[in-house]
Amino acid sequence: MRASAMLLAALTLFLWAADVARQLQLGVADSGLAFYAVAGVAGVVVAVAVARQARGDRLALLIALWLLLSVLDDLAVDWPESRSATTVWMPAHGLVPSAYALMVLGYPSGRLRGRGDRLLIALAAVVGLVWMGAPLLFFRPTGCATCAPRVASWLYTGTTFDYLPVGQVSWAAFIVLGIAFVGLLVRRLRAAPPGARVTLLPLGLAVFFTAAEFVAQRVVWLGGWRSPGGVLDWIDRANALVLPLAILLGLAAIRRRRGPLGDFVVELSRARPGNAQPALARAVGDPTLELALWIPERGEYVDEAGMPIDVSAIPEGRALTAIGPPGEPLAALIHDERLLGQRSLLEAAGSAARLALENARLQAELRAQLTELRSSRTRIVEAADAERRRLERDLHDGAQQRLLALGLALQLMRESDVDSELLRQAEIELQTALRELRDLARGIHPTILSERGIGPAMRSLADRAAIPVTVEAGDERFPPAIETAAYFVVAEALANIAKHAEASAAAVTFARRNGRVLLEISDNGCGGAVARSGGGLRGLEDRVAAAGGSLRIHSEPGAGTVLRVELPCG
Amino acid sequence: MATRVLIVDDHPSFRRLATRLLQEAGFAVVGEAADAAGAIGEAERLRPDVVLLDVVLPDGSGVEVARELAHTDEAPRVILISSRGRSDFGDSFAWPPGCTFLPKHELTPARLRAVLQRP
Repeated sequence: MRASAMLLAALTLFLWAADVARQLQLGVADSGLAFYAVAGVAGVVVAVAVARQARGDRLALLIALWLLLSVLDDLAVDWPESRSATTVWMPAHGLVPSAYALMVLGYPSGRLRGRGDRLLIALAAVVGLVWMGAPLLFFRPTGCATCAPRVASWLYTGTTFDYLPVGQVSWAAFIVLGIAFVGLLVRRLRAAPPGARVTLLPLGLAVFFTAAEFVAQRVVWLGGWRSPGGVLDWIDRANALVLPLAILLGLAAIRRRRGPLGDFVVELSRARPGNAQPALARAVGDPTLELALWIPERGEYVDEAGMPIDVSAIPEGRALTAIGPPGEPLAALIHDERLLGQRSLLEAAGSAARLALENARLQAELRAQLTELRSSRTRIVEAADAERRRLERDLHDGAQQRLLALGLALQLMRESDVDSELLRQAEIELQTALRELRDLARGIHPTILSERGIGPAMRSLADRAAIPVTVEAGDERFPPAIETAAYFVVAEALANIAKHAEASAAAVTFARRNGRVLLEISDNGCGGAVARSGGGLRGLEDRVAAAGGSLRIHSEPGAGTVLRVELPCG
Repeated sequence: MATRVLIVDDHPSFRRLATRLLQEAGFAVVGEAADAAGAIGEAERLRPDVVLLDVVLPDGSGVEVARELAHTDEAPRVILISSRGRSDFGDSFAWPPGCTFLPKHELTPARLRAVLQRP
């Protein structure tokens, strides 16, 4: 954006110089030409100055565009015999009004704000192109009322010809659009808050100046008079200067209202971390300024790259200004001694920097805490999972083995002569106890999950479900945290489906995609599931989050429920 | 002639009671082992007809032991036993060929005899 603005400005300057040289060659060497030359250079200088401002590049492009069209408009007058100058001149001349409106309405951001602005500029461009485009294609040579219009403007030289009716219509349209343009400007000025009005006023005055000059020119021309001393011609030349100057004044007013540190704060807020020093140096006006950040844990100052700075050995001619409450420095500025007279500027810059630095530091601290919190949550869940695996093993190795042995003992007793009815009772009790213990152990941690992996484990869950469940999953193994999280999601989801969904079928898919695991559990039931605090779904969300994944529920009433879980592959 | 059985399990009380139960039912329990290494050694030494083999052993998997035993001459019939149920291993579990799985809570002399009669 900035580069194209500069390119247009350079092109404008070149053409402007060529035009001035041409006029000198034609023997024009009066004060009017000098003024014209100065105005052109000034316009380009203003465009460049605007482009160099923070976020001024868009507006600069609009100014440069207007200047370029204006100089193209002027060129044809001085090269009446050049066909290419004329051919370029015609559309340029037609587009100058819309470029002008674009620049004025785009001020100060370079962007148009409303539909009215866009419509006006589009209409001005269309009218301008029709106005100058029609004679480009069909024209009638001057003084030949009976000649038929001809298609051949590139054979045509000179800037005078008989306007076809389209010319008059275009003029009428331009007058209407001009009034609408002034109306839009007045409305903008009235709607602006008092603070912003000051920044709009120079531009508004410049536009009224140009409009008044334009009307005066037409009146003098229509009346067949001459302005005294050619004063209107002078004013016409000044136009190229007035508008850029007004824009510059307006932008200066914006800067003044923002205060000397405004740009710095804006710049600092956009600077990447570690880039505060150059912004501070510019704000204070001391390119040698150094920023020293206080690190409480180390008890020393470091620069933005983290290298220690020895503030006890400040060379002759340098001074240190500490920022922050007394005794708890946050940072320090090491700067030219002569800046000490501007203590308030230093402190203001320091405070602005402090806001940004404190912000950055708080953010870093928060991020560190968040990371720690996440990893501690993951550790807690992993520890709980390990504990469950241990519990399950203990159940198998302990109580269950004792009960199995007891079963064998009962069988032996039956071989001898004990009351067989009582014995059968004991055996039934024992088998029940064993089954319950197996179910309990499986609920604590399923053997099949650690032994065979998530795919077979999910199929075993599906086999035990009350409704038909299809499972699409391979036998690939994943990290235990991922397998456990996925397993409990499926187990809980299938239990929920059995309890609430009134579904007749469900499906589970588990696949690796783009370095992540995608798990989807869907049913054809009644839908309307929500994650309530303390509910099973919320517990699943927590478990999935602890494994670094995410869980989403799509459950429109009447349209079934889809549970989508994404987990990292580890 | 009585069927010669080797019992491999890491729980002494289970081995002791299973031995008594099977012997009273007419099996000849010729040996016991508590781990995978012992199982292979005893099987080689005793040449039993049947090995009752726990799936989870302290020094390895009973499934691996079963695979190794299948490669020996006059390989014994291997019955894999476990305190876990069949569904804990899943339908597609790759049991070694020629092996039969029997949950421990279903282990009775009658059941064992029925299993052994099937090829």
